Amino acid sequence: MSAEVVHHTVTGIDNRKFGMWVLIASECFLFGGLILNYLVNRDRGLVGPKAVDIFNIDITTLSTFDLLMSSVAMVLALHACQQHDIKKFRFWTTMVILGGIIFLGFQYFEFHHFVHAGLGLSTNVFGSSFYLLTGCHGLHVFVGVLWLTSMLVTSFVRGKDWFPSVQLEVAGLYWHFVDVVWILLFTVVYLFVYL
Amino acid sequence: MAKCLPTTGVISWITTVDHKRIGIMYGVTAFLFLLCGGIEALLMRTQLAIPNNTLVTAGTFNSLMTMHGTTMIFLFVMPLSAAFFNFLTPLMIGAPDVAFPRMNALSYWIFLFGGLLLNFSFAVRLAPDGGWFNYANLTGKVFSPSHAIDFWVLGIQILGLASLIAAINFLVTILNMRCKGMTLLKMPIFIWTTLVTQVLLILALPVITVALVMMTFDRSFGTGFFDPAGGGQVIMWQHFFWIFGHPEVYILILPAMGIVSEILPTFSRKPLFGYTVMVYSSCAIGFLGFAVWAHHMFTTGLGPWAQALFSAATMLIAVPTGVKIFNWISTLWGGQIRFTTAMLFAMSFIAMFTFGGLSGVMHSSPPIDSQHQDTYFVVAHFHYVLYGGAVMALFGGIFYWFPKVFGYYMHEGLGKAQFWLYMLGFNLTFFPMHFLGMQGMPRRVFTYSGDQGWSLWNLVATSGSYITALGGVVFVINIVYTLITKKNKAPADCWDGRTLEWSLSSPPPEYNFAVDPEVKHLDDWWHQKYTHDGRRITPRYQPDVDPATKHLPHPSFWPMIVAAGLTIIAIGFLVDGIGHYISVGGVVVTLLAVYGWVFEEA
Amino acid sequence: MKPISKAISRASCLLSASMFSLYSLAGSFDEHPYELSASFKTPMDTLAGLTDWGQGINYVYAITTIIVGIVFLAVSIPLIYAIRRFRVSDEEFATLPLPKQVHGNVILEFTWTIIPVILLLFIAVPTWQIIFRQPEKHQIPPGSMRIEVIGHQWWWEFRYPSLGITTANELHLPEKTPVYFELSSVDVIHSFWIPQFGGKLDVMPGKGAENYLFLTTPSLQHPEQNGGEYYQGQCAELCGLSHALMRFEAVVHEKAEFERWAAVFHNPPVVQTALEKKGELVFMQCMSCHTISKTPSEDIEKQMLAMDPPVHKAGPNLTDFGSRRMLAAGTRTNTAQNFHDWVDNPPSIKPGSRMVPLGLSKADIEAVAAYLRYSTAKTY
Repeated sequence: MSAEVVHHTVTGIDNRKFGMWVLIASECFLFGGLILNYLVNRDRGLVGPKAVDIFNIDITTLSTFDLLMSSVAMVLALHACQQHDIKKFRFWTTMVILGGIIFLGFQYFEFHHFVHAGLGLSTNVFGSSFYLLTGCHGLHVFVGVLWLTSMLVTSFVRGKDWFPSVQLEVAGLYWHFVDVVWILLFTVVYLFVYL
Repeated sequence: MAKCLPTTGVISWITTVDHKRIGIMYGVTAFLFLLCGGIEALLMRTQLAIPNNTLVTAGTFNSLMTMHGTTMIFLFVMPLSAAFFNFLTPLMIGAPDVAFPRMNALSYWIFLFGGLLLNFSFAVRLAPDGGWFNYANLTGKVFSPSHAIDFWVLGIQILGLASLIAAINFLVTILNMRCKGMTLLKMPIFIWTTLVTQVLLILALPVITVALVMMTFDRSFGTGFFDPAGGGQVIMWQHFFWIFGHPEVYILILPAMGIVSEILPTFSRKPLFGYTVMVYSSCAIGFLGFAVWAHHMFTTGLGPWAQALFSAATMLIAVPTGVKIFNWISTLWGGQIRFTTAMLFAMSFIAMFTFGGLSGVMHSSPPIDSQHQDTYFVVAHFHYVLYGGAVMALFGGIFYWFPKVFGYYMHEGLGKAQFWLYMLGFNLTFFPMHFLGMQGMPRRVFTYSGDQGWSLWNLVATSGSYITALGGVVFVINIVYTLITKKNKAPADCWDGRTLEWSLSSPPPEYNFAVDPEVKHLDDWWHQKYTHDGRRITPRYQPDVDPATKHLPHPSFWPMIVAAGLTIIAIGFLVDGIGHYISVGGVVVTLLAVYGWVFEEA
Repeated sequence: MKPISKAISRASCLLSASMFSLYSLAGSFDEHPYELSASFKTPMDTLAGLTDWGQGINYVYAITTIIVGIVFLAVSIPLIYAIRRFRVSDEEFATLPLPKQVHGNVILEFTWTIIPVILLLFIAVPTWQIIFRQPEKHQIPPGSMRIEVIGHQWWWEFRYPSLGITTANELHLPEKTPVYFELSSVDVIHSFWIPQFGGKLDVMPGKGAENYLFLTTPSLQHPEQNGGEYYQGQCAELCGLSHALMRFEAVVHEKAEFERWAAVFHNPPVVQTALEKKGELVFMQCMSCHTISKTPSEDIEKQMLAMDPPVHKAGPNLTDFGSRRMLAAGTRTNTAQNFHDWVDNPPSIKPGSRMVPLGLSKADIEAVAAYLRYSTAKTY
């Protein structure tokens, strides 16, 4: 977040933004591997509950909607930052963070419910793959929340003239990516059960 | 904090963010690990010199072969390539530094700590023993209950992170920070192979990360991803490992190809033959590298269709590789070849790499592979490619760029002695292994009996390995001799080179380019020295200016502290009882260091 | 320095030249228990190609070797020529004008893209031919003999369901018979490999992960001799501490001789002498891990295998032990002294062995040896 020297770049894209795009490319393969593993192991659980027994599609739809809305808030926060509107910048950033926290709350609730329904981390390979995949996504949301919270706090420390447009754009790229991954997970993990 | 840090002495090296210094540190560290890997190799060869030898136990042997492979790949060839990326990339593309100088330092420190953690396993007598491929389920908790495998899993996880950070850094640097006029097809060929290597790293490393996380979960949290008893499948690890592992092979060889493609033109006094095709073939090799992983698994019962498709894809890789080989020969053809040590290494690369590549073509056929898989024939094959190929080229690169890095020529006589000792020792060690493989000697065996017909060739191979070691000693003597006597000072353009780094003084100033370069041609520096009709003209060397007038990134402690924090997290997994407290402590250190980093002035 | 490097370079040329001539001598350095037709043939020779499967491999191998050899010459001759022809000394270099600056040649580069593709087709087509010749599970010809190969750390179990036989470490086969091996493992991944027969195939743990290898057993090389012909096999996938010592032998018999071998399993062991009777008693302690056909140990095994999931005995079936040439999965020859050393302290011979020192007295070991070695010894 510090003010690194902005070099002229060949592509015209800021180094930090470019770096985030490259990281996202790498993350695609990370989640690709995890999704593949989930698909292979989905029906291989020998004991314990299966996906169709325990998934609660209504609640997951709600948390999906929540994460989508936080992405909208992210767009608005970035717009406000670029317009140098400190109030809206702080408000919408807070909204993104809240959206992330609510999503994590949903996930905690879901995991808690599953464990009570008899599906622990090591009950069967379906469960292990499910927790690994959604847990990895949850960790990404958590990192995003931590990141944006740090920016919000910095905003209050640095005062009303601090508008980190590029930094927020990088964080936004990350946030949107994490959101898109969730749409994919929601489809593959939750909706495919009903196919 | 950053402003008051010294610019010389130990602290300056610890806090440096200068890509040239980081490159040197990568190189020196890689050679220290080469010493470890080399000693491991010698011990193995000594054990196998005669049948029924009892120098080391079965367990020690398994540790030696596991750590030899892991060390040579992750702690020697990859970091030594990284040393070249670090030192050369900004100089060759005319940039003041890499895109993220502190991230660059971070990746070095993570690599160093990861390597130390991995080798620390010897000190606590828990050296990993599951092979460099670490196949499940032998490496599960049931069959490997000690922490030995955890050392490997966590060590590779850490080293992977270092490579990933470096790869993102170099990719952005190459694409974003080229000097004026340097379009993609005017980049030096070494920069191209570097670029392809980074793409491979960025896409392949997350795959092994997933597999390593799953194995960590299996070993530490009781899951059964790779445990058939719980519905898991052992074959999944192999798929994950080789989807990473095969691109990894090209991650090792592509930088070497780039180095050779720089050395050959310089010492032939001719441009690289078919530059554009060389670029495309590098890209094709990188792309195909992702489509052939299952050829490491031909004997696992893939079924005929998978075997047929993966063998065809594997054979296809021979085409762009073959094009490269013939283009290198054409580069030599009609040139004025100077027999410098660097050139000898580069030319031997062509021969040795071709030889290894051709035995690789044999393995692309699953029926043949079913006889050669896991025998010494395969050992011979990949040593020809990775040692005769990659390592010989890297040594060529060292002799070629040493004057640029340190300002002094290495001793040519000692260099040639080393070269011939290497050629002799290497071929004596690995050529007979083809015979051993055809005679049915399996890999990874700690002993064999005298009635197998393998005794002679094993003895020959062992004697060769000692000759190679002698070559290594000559190399160390050469380095020490050169740096102590400082006899043969190198001018800026010491070899009549072709690329931008030769326009800088040797060693280059801290700020790299006093005047932002602008290029008009491929091999622009060459075109500044020679007119179209071959007349020599005086080029404009980069002037020396007062460093104070140049804005340089500030040195920082934080990269090292972040790396230390990450390593502490890993250590937590290796300690029973209070392990999770240590890991949490590591998380805290990492987070605090990240904040320190972010709020520090760059 | 220069003379030294020159001397080394000459020495290396000489050595590599003499390497080939030495190759044929290699065999004479070792003592062979196996009968070998040529001095460079070894017990695990990968070029023997004695079965249809092995011959298929050799067919591809021969074609590939020729093509690869041609390509090697096509690279190395121009390379060596260019290096010698275009070398300049430092003095010449200083005075010579620039050589012709050639940047590439589209036709040439196109040529050496196309020619390798054509050459590779010559490798690919026979490769595919052989791949698809190996039948899959549902294509296995009816009437072939099914043999279950079960990998253990670090020994081999062989079951013949059609004959009701279980044995270990010695794979007895009738000559010229189509057989298929069903490969599975009770612990880690192993790899089943008899080099003289053909290529290897991995032995995977886990339900549904079985691999199938089909081949027709070779005919006898010396039909006039009795007692079968021995071929060495070995595990080819790292499987832990004693991976190197996980060997076995395939024994090919004339068909009638094979029947006689199989008959041994259908009769209880002959226990006559006092020593053998004592041995039978001592063997009682071995029964939780080892089985001998038609004795109570077989019932124990049946009960263990009937459990869900089935439990395999930790040690090999010892029914035809007296006839086996090797003990401890091909680690030592089956002599009285080696048998004593093995039972006395197995891990000293085979690191990590799951058979631990049992503390048997020398007399006990002798008795059990008598029971194992002679009561079931060759009756065929």
